[in-house]
Amino acid sequence: MTDNQFEKSVWDSFLDGNKSAFSTLFKLHYASLHNYGLKISGNIDFTEDCLQDFFVYLFENRAQISAINSIKSYLFISFRRALLRALKKERQYVNYDIPLELLLSFEFSSEEIAIKQEFTVIKSSVLTNLLNALSVREREAIYLKYYSNLKLSEIALIMNISYQSVLNTLQKAYVKLRKNIETKALQDVLKNN
Amino acid sequence: MSKTNKTFIEKLLNDDSFINWAKETNTNDIAFWSAWINKHPEHIDAVYTAKAMLLGVVFNEKKLDKTKINMELTTVLNRINTGQKQSNSHSKQYKLSAHIKYAAVALITLFISIFSIATIYNSKTITHQTSFGEIIDLKLPDGTSVVLNGNSSIKYNKDQPRTVFLEGEAYFKVKPMPSTQAKFWVNTQDLTVEVFGTQFNVNTRQDKTSVLLDEGSIHLLLKNGDSKIMNPGEIASYSKEEQKVSHKKITKKTSYASWKEGTYIFNNITLDDVMQHIENTYGMSYEFVDKSLKTKLVSGGIPNENLDICLLAIQKSTEVKILTKEDKLYIYKLEIN
Repeated sequence: MTDNQFEKSVWDSFLDGNKSAFSTLFKLHYASLHNYGLKISGNIDFTEDCLQDFFVYLFENRAQISAINSIKSYLFISFRRALLRALKKERQYVNYDIPLELLLSFEFSSEEIAIKQEFTVIKSSVLTNLLNALSVREREAIYLKYYSNLKLSEIALIMNISYQSVLNTLQKAYVKLRKNIETKALQDVLKNN
Repeated sequence: MSKTNKTFIEKLLNDDSFINWAKETNTNDIAFWSAWINKHPEHIDAVYTAKAMLLGVVFNEKKLDKTKINMELTTVLNRINTGQKQSNSHSKQYKLSAHIKYAAVALITLFISIFSIATIYNSKTITHQTSFGEIIDLKLPDGTSVVLNGNSSIKYNKDQPRTVFLEGEAYFKVKPMPSTQAKFWVNTQDLTVEVFGTQFNVNTRQDKTSVLLDEGSIHLLLKNGDSKIMNPGEIASYSKEEQKVSHKKITKKTSYASWKEGTYIFNNITLDDVMQHIENTYGMSYEFVDKSLKTKLVSGGIPNENLDICLLAIQKSTEVKILTKEDKLYIYKLEIN
């Protein structure tokens, strides 16, 4: 049985109401959803509350789930929606009227950026700063593509934008990154001379 | 960046030969694209942007503690079983505007008055449940102390705190009541332990109940109607399915496993049995890569405050190597160089 077939059979018996299949699903995806939620909200308690609510809701409303292509991206899409709804609700209470984009935090920390990068030899701490200077949308696309290993078509569904927009977003991000890295490298050369 | 350039980058991203150049996996493609770039310096920016996109950003994956995931799972399953829609496990400090607060207070009062009548019966039963790898110290209302091992539960009625129901494993220190001679009962699926005041371990795993008595004396009331008196330093087990009683005094040679205040006490038992205990407590299945290790005998105390320490102690005392891979433990022979 391949990993895919295994996940598919777990998913089917979860839909039948099997709690141990549900537990397997939970264990398989909890960590990646937890990390994604933390990236979006920047608040661990809030993320864990939302994740609990999300999984309870998922189990109780499993009958309403129609046929899906990818389990992972389905979970990412619905969890993102649930998180944003909860964040919006919180925003109503504090009576701010700020755009949704500003609610997402998506900060990278230098611990999560590997020291050895393939496209550049720049220090990981510097790269972290350059990544955090990108727009929230660009950071989320980068995160979903390279941290969560999702396909561009899946990222489009998760971020609720077109395939072309995902591609453009990633492209813009890399144009900026490369430009900033060059500037940075040039500055370093000048400083050393 | 112009529109034609975008589609150009898209073409590059989907070109196998270009991917081979970017990832440096094929010498022919490397030679081809190096030559191509020299001929088309106007595309150099697009080419290197596409290369960077293919190579991406390399992340260190953040690992989440397994016990944490299991704990959250237990909470979610409990909520599903009890039909509780809203979470309350983490401290919520969301700011509510004033009128919402008043509305909430009014609603909550209304709900409490409606449901208090309905929940009187449920609220009388008190349940303590541990998830895999979690150990809790409990003080029952009568002063008895209980250490509940991982993946176990204890239940009792508020009005009768000296009658408890156990699934899993727990160590009891029953507080004696000399004035009233009140007894204390531990009920399992196989038997009832009846005591005045004493210290003992009860384990209901593996389709039987084992009781190890440290101090005092106890009565075992078996589900088949028989009863047994136990003295300190004895171990007894009974399974209602097999109707088999085993009752013996512990000597150096007796093979048994017990658990006392967070420490496993293993005496002359096989490594296979030891691993079975780990599986019951932490929910990790296991496999002997070297089958001959199954019958290796283990004796001594193994701390089990957490899985890592527990495994470390087992590895030290038995000279085996235990590797964890995706929720499963693999037991290897230790290579001695």
